[in-house]
Amino acid sequence: MRRGIVPALVIGAGLVVLVDYLVVNPSVDVVGGYLLSYLIALAAAAGVAGGVEVVAAQVIHLRERRRDPTAAVATLVGFLLAVGAGFYPGSAGASDPAMRWIVAAMLLPLVASLFSLLFFFMLAAVSRGLRLRGRETTVIVAAAAAMLVLLLPLGGDVGRSLASAAGWTLDVPVGAVFRGLLIGVAIATSVAAARTLLTPAGEG
Amino acid sequence: MPDLGELVGGVVRFLGDSLSASRLAVGVGPTLALLTVMLVLLYLLARPTARWRGRDLGRLQGVVRTMALAAESGGTASFSLGTAGVVRPAAAVDRLQTLAALPVLGHVASAAARGGVPLMVTANDAVAVELARAVLDEAFAATSTSERARRARAEHVGDGRASAAGRSLARPAGAGNTTHVLGGLSEEAPALLTGEVDGAATTTFGTATPAEAVWVLLLGQGAVIGPELYSAASAVLPATDERAAVFAVNRLIWVALALLAGGSLLRVLGIFDVAGFVLGRS
Repeated sequence: MRRGIVPALVIGAGLVVLVDYLVVNPSVDVVGGYLLSYLIALAAAAGVAGGVEVVAAQVIHLRERRRDPTAAVATLVGFLLAVGAGFYPGSAGASDPAMRWIVAAMLLPLVASLFSLLFFFMLAAVSRGLRLRGRETTVIVAAAAAMLVLLLPLGGDVGRSLASAAGWTLDVPVGAVFRGLLIGVAIATSVAAARTLLTPAGEG
Repeated sequence: MPDLGELVGGVVRFLGDSLSASRLAVGVGPTLALLTVMLVLLYLLARPTARWRGRDLGRLQGVVRTMALAAESGGTASFSLGTAGVVRPAAAVDRLQTLAALPVLGHVASAAARGGVPLMVTANDAVAVELARAVLDEAFAATSTSERARRARAEHVGDGRASAAGRSLARPAGAGNTTHVLGGLSEEAPALLTGEVDGAATTTFGTATPAEAVWVLLLGQGAVIGPELYSAASAVLPATDERAAVFAVNRLIWVALALLAGGSLLRVLGIFDVAGFVLGRS
């Protein structure tokens, strides 16, 4: 019985949201709005549960000495700092200056430092690619090198010709490949969404 | 006392009023395009096609052998669901990739359960973690190896794209001898994938995000690119609806190609702007 009720609920809710997306109707808008509110509440509850789970996992790591304790302590301290900045008495929540400082002075530099390693990641990836599948990687590296030459900041007629060739390459061959992939992904995405609606209790 | 005719009249009047108060939100073209997708899929689900010629996408058909080798050598397996999650503030196209990766996780989990290989699944979204746990439970139940269920875990690595990448880089080398990363990847893809390949004997990476495809191609032994991510499950699972979805995608790609060719011709001849109609611009 339960196996039939859950898919029916999924199909019903999904179809209401789909109709709400396609059709402007006051009654459907109200029902669709309720469903979206429930979804947002579910996501918020999941967010809280996720936070609790991260803390619990780090405490277990510390207690059972499964991993590097420094990383677990750093995670817990960071978590407590963020929660403290958002919840201390009189705090303005996410827009509180303390929270903004944590994001601007700690979080963003940490993320930026990850991005600063991009060049080294690229070298490591090319090296691994050459070992795994040499011919294809050579083509990728040659194409990247050609684009680097085309994008050189040169002046005069040579620079204009290179910039024009770079623009054409990005607009025509590279643009065609990207659009082809995007069309394929869009079709696969819409079929996957339709399949989720129509066969929620499928064999897969 | 109202009679049956009055009741039916009231229902019809209500439906009529409701319909007259409605209008299409996105135009005729996009509505038809969406309904076409549903109809093609429904048709294929109702009349499953028998001719199936699958391909080994991302070396996923070799997962059973890989897990057997990992079991012999005392290895472990890891599976990352990417950086998009399910309810995170990421693009819907990216989040749907997480759902597309779940059937593949089911296949990997079944192979790990049979081989007794410890499996660690990571995600940066609490809902994705719960979905992964359900998939793991189902895999152990389906393979009658519930006593090994403690060997598989799904862990929430914290919210944010950088947390998934940072965790991947910080973990010890060889933490997953058999590594899979499938799902939505964003700018952190190089960091995430570089961390995952460290010490891994076999790797399968996949994403439908075109801009990150090059990292998947360079770093993964098995690569699943673009729409292939949505077809990957059909390569390893015999489910009818998985295959119907692949047939539907293939047929709709032919429709898209015909629209592109025919629409370009009509546009050049100045007869009709098909692209504008489909996108709701005219």
